[in-house]
Amino acid sequence: MQRIPQQLIPLIIMIVAIIGSLITARTLLVPDSFGDLGHYRADNTGEVAALELSYAGAHVCADCHDDISETKRDSHHSGVACESCHGPALAHTEAPDEFIPDAPRGRDGCLLCHGYNPARPSGFPQILPGQHNPTKACLICHAPHDPQLPHTAEDCSACHREISNRKQVSHHSSVACTECHKATDEHRASPRIVRAEKPRKAEVCGNCHARGADSSREIPRIDMDTHGGRYICWDCHYPHFPETNL
Amino acid sequence: METVIANIASAIPGTTGYIYPNEFELHWSLLIVIYPYLTGLVAGAFILASLERVFKVHEITPVYRLSLVTALAFLIVAPMPLLAHLGHPERNYEMFLTPNTSSAMAMFGFVYAWYLLGVLLLELWLDYRRDIVKWSNEKTGIARYFYKFSTLGATDISPKAIEFDEKASRFITIVGVPSAFLLHGYVGFIFGSVKANPWWSSVLMPIVFLFSAIVSGIALMILVYMISTMFRWKKMDMACLNKLASFLLYAMLVDFTLEALDFIHRLYESEESITILSEMISNRLFISLIVAQIILGSLAPLVGIIMAKMGKVPDEMKRMLYFISALLVQVGIFSTRWNVVIGGQLFSKSLRGLTVYKLELFGLEGLFMAITLLIAPVIILYILVKLFPPWMDKPELDVAAAKEAVAPAKETE
Ligand code: HEC
Ligand code: HEC
Ligand code: HEC
Ligand code: HEC
Ligand code: HEC
Ligand code: HEC
Ligand code: HEC
Ligand code: HEC
Repeated sequence: MQRIPQQLIPLIIMIVAIIGSLITARTLLVPDSFGDLGHYRADNTGEVAALELSYAGAHVCADCHDDISETKRDSHHSGVACESCHGPALAHTEAPDEFIPDAPRGRDGCLLCHGYNPARPSGFPQILPGQHNPTKACLICHAPHDPQLPHTAEDCSACHREISNRKQVSHHSSVACTECHKATDEHRASPRIVRAEKPRKAEVCGNCHARGADSSREIPRIDMDTHGGRYICWDCHYPHFPETNL
Repeated sequence: METVIANIASAIPGTTGYIYPNEFELHWSLLIVIYPYLTGLVAGAFILASLERVFKVHEITPVYRLSLVTALAFLIVAPMPLLAHLGHPERNYEMFLTPNTSSAMAMFGFVYAWYLLGVLLLELWLDYRRDIVKWSNEKTGIARYFYKFSTLGATDISPKAIEFDEKASRFITIVGVPSAFLLHGYVGFIFGSVKANPWWSSVLMPIVFLFSAIVSGIALMILVYMISTMFRWKKMDMACLNKLASFLLYAMLVDFTLEALDFIHRLYESEESITILSEMISNRLFISLIVAQIILGSLAPLVGIIMAKMGKVPDEMKRMLYFISALLVQVGIFSTRWNVVIGGQLFSKSLRGLTVYKLELFGLEGLFMAITLLIAPVIILYILVKLFPPWMDKPELDVAAAKEAVAPAKETE
């Protein structure tokens, strides 16, 4: 005569086995330093730090290639490290003749950074690869260590591609950038030194949109005194893509 | 000008308005649509089975075991889309070793394990034990050893032992119903708790998910029951089908009301997101929400079932209506999942623009993977049914004693 039903026995054994194996697995498999610093293995930081180096760093190259370093230092590429283009080169600095880094002479290397991508920051020079002198190597016209434009960029879209693309398909497509921004030729030549101006007053919009403004009849008019209340126009309307279904 | 626009179109095809750069691509793909769809079927099938057990609805006895086996088949596949989506499936056990209690997604592993081991497998085993012992004596060859192993050494099938099995399995079902609620409510919770997404963020989400799960589970069982009975050359039990259809009808009414409530609530609240959401519904989700989910997936089957119930239609016609309705419900629920998962990523968080979802064909997150994952549970179900025949055909005369006559496995199959 059994006290507990027979079928419970294998179940109890199994529950004990599962819990037991979980406990054993935890003691065996969970690393000792797990949880010391957070929900991860603390020793990991040390292991990563101990990995073999393959990059020499931005400054070592100057020891031997001082000419190139100097050229680059004053160029548009001053912020781009040598190894971003030439690849990891620690081995080269230790044995310059045995290991020679690649020099990326094709178009792809440059397009990695300069191909159009809407996520890049405003002002970063971007090109549409299919339209910018296709099939020709970039090096014919731009020196990699001192990239210059053969002539000043003609259009604001050269560096503000995303804004200009947006504007192009908006109600403001016919409005030139310079209607709202004062941007001199110097801004196009050296944008970080000579800044362009952003509108500060609602009058900029009022030039076209105020009731009595001297502008094309098709442009929708608003009452500048009441419309929008105490907010400035671009608190509500994105100027490069103005919408009214707010 | 034309060329410029053509260029923009090639850089960002299909998008309209303003969207942030990191929203061009959707991160939760078709696989994440499949995942709540499959878990929903599991929870629904289980809850249906519990109606028989807990609430003693004896009309649906013929699908009781079949529901449990179906739930198991789908539950085995349910986490696979997640594993495929995350990559590194071989690391999955790590979330059991180092539980991260502040992550709802990580805790799912435990919910899943509990539901699989603590509820479904246990209940099935207790329920099948008597048959397994019998088969282990009757069958020969490898099959004999397989069933012998499946008894786990518990060969006692005295009336007292069987009585214990019944009691235990009823108890497990009672625990199982909240577990099934947890399993699928949890999936809704994951979406509902994303504060930053106005399409998802809603306290009603877990409840809406739950009821749509029940709807899809019952509809699935109607399909599985009808198809399996057809292939076994048996007569369909109309009482059972009618009952299933009634449950489907009630569940759909509740589900539909809840979703309408959610919708009206959003309209009434009319937060700043409402403009972009209505634009999304009328442009991007028109086919999948208005047509597939509401018209084909909810209204049409509602009408179909009501017609079969109210009108004086012959059984033949009824079966036809049930079958088509259940099929449409599946289409509808799948669209529901699609609309939640994909819809939630189609509009920009700037609330100013819409993007598009580009489905890939091959690859780990592509269409073929999705189809494979949807077929896999059916194959598993077939194998399970072959190994453990779940049929509980009533002896044609004696309906009341149906419970005594727990299906003898038919050798003729
Ligand atoms: C110890 C001195 C030394 C250092 C440090 C050094 N180089 Fe060099 N590098 C050389 C010498 C010498 C050559 C010429 C090797 C030859 O042509 O055989 C050379 C050649 C090159 C070339 C030419 C490959 C070609 O196709 O002609 C590249 C590119 C280059 N170095 C990149 C780098 C970079 C990048 C660094 C910094 C990580 C670097 N070097 C640091 C000594 C150095
Ligand atoms: C924007 C990418 C880029 C960066 C940054 C860059 N290089 Fe180069 N480098 C090139 C390319 C492309 C060539 C091939 C030029 C050619 O064939 O005319 C090259 C060629 C070279 C050469 C061999 C030919 C020559 O002009 O003597 C050396 C040496 C070299 N680079 C060193 C350096 C060093 C040192 C730095 C960092 C101070 C550096 N490079 C940074 C792209 C780059
Ligand atoms: C690792 C990223 C990177 C790569 C690779 C790169 N660049 Fe640049 N490039 C930059 C940065 C950063 C600037 C500076 C932009 C600024 O001033 O805001 C720049 C500026 C330029 C400019 C100046 C445009 C102007 O405003 O006058 C030209 C031309 C240029 N790069 C050409 C090239 C070419 C040709 C190559 C391939 C050899 C190349 N770049 C590869 C990052 C890169
Ligand atoms: C035939 C000569 C030529 C070739 C080849 C060429 N460019 Fe240019 N690039 C120019 C000229 C001219 C300008 C300035 C005028 C303008 O705005 O188009 C310019 C401008 C640029 C600018 C500034 C943004 C802009 O649109 O003005 C970048 C960045 C640039 N080029 C990168 C590249 C890259 C990367 C390659 C290779 C894939 C390349 N270029 C090939 C002639 C050339
Ligand atoms: C050669 C590249 C280049 C060209 C061409 C260019 N810009 Fe810029 N622009 C920049 C960069 C880089 C910045 C970002 C400066 C910073 O943030 O430090 C900038 C910033 C601006 C700003 C913002 C200034 C602020 O205070 O935030 C405006 C407005 C602007 N540009 C307008 C224009 C207009 C209008 C044109 C055409 C007439 C133009 N830019 C052409 C590179 C360019
Ligand atoms: C209808 C007037 C208008 C036109 C046309 C216009 N802008 Fe602007 N832009 C503005 C205003 C207003 C701001 C300031 C927005 C703010 O401060 O939030 C601004 C801000 C900017 C900025 C700095 C902020 C940012 O988004 O990076 C840049 C860069 C800029 N504009 C570039 C351009 C370029 C390039 C064009 C032409 C393609 C252009 N704008 C056309 C009104 C205009
Ligand atoms: C040079 C004249 C000009 C200036 C300056 C200008 N706009 Fe416009 N704006 C237009 C034109 C042209 C349209 C398009 C009318 C049409 O669609 O027929 C327009 C349309 C609009 C619309 C309506 C869009 C729609 O959906 O119908 C808004 C909003 C708007 N502008 C806001 C602004 C704001 C804000 C500013 C100031 C930052 C501004 N505009 C400055 C010329 C201008
Ligand atoms: C508080 C937000 C807000 C501000 C600030 C605001 N607008 Fe508007 N604007 C709207 C809304 C909302 C609409 C659309 C509904 C309407 O026509 O009133 C609109 C519509 C417009 C239209 C289109 C009118 C038409 O008839 O189609 C123009 C043009 C416009 N605004 C220009 C401006 C200008 C210029 C300013 C700055 C003086 C400005 N807005 C400030 C919210 C604003």
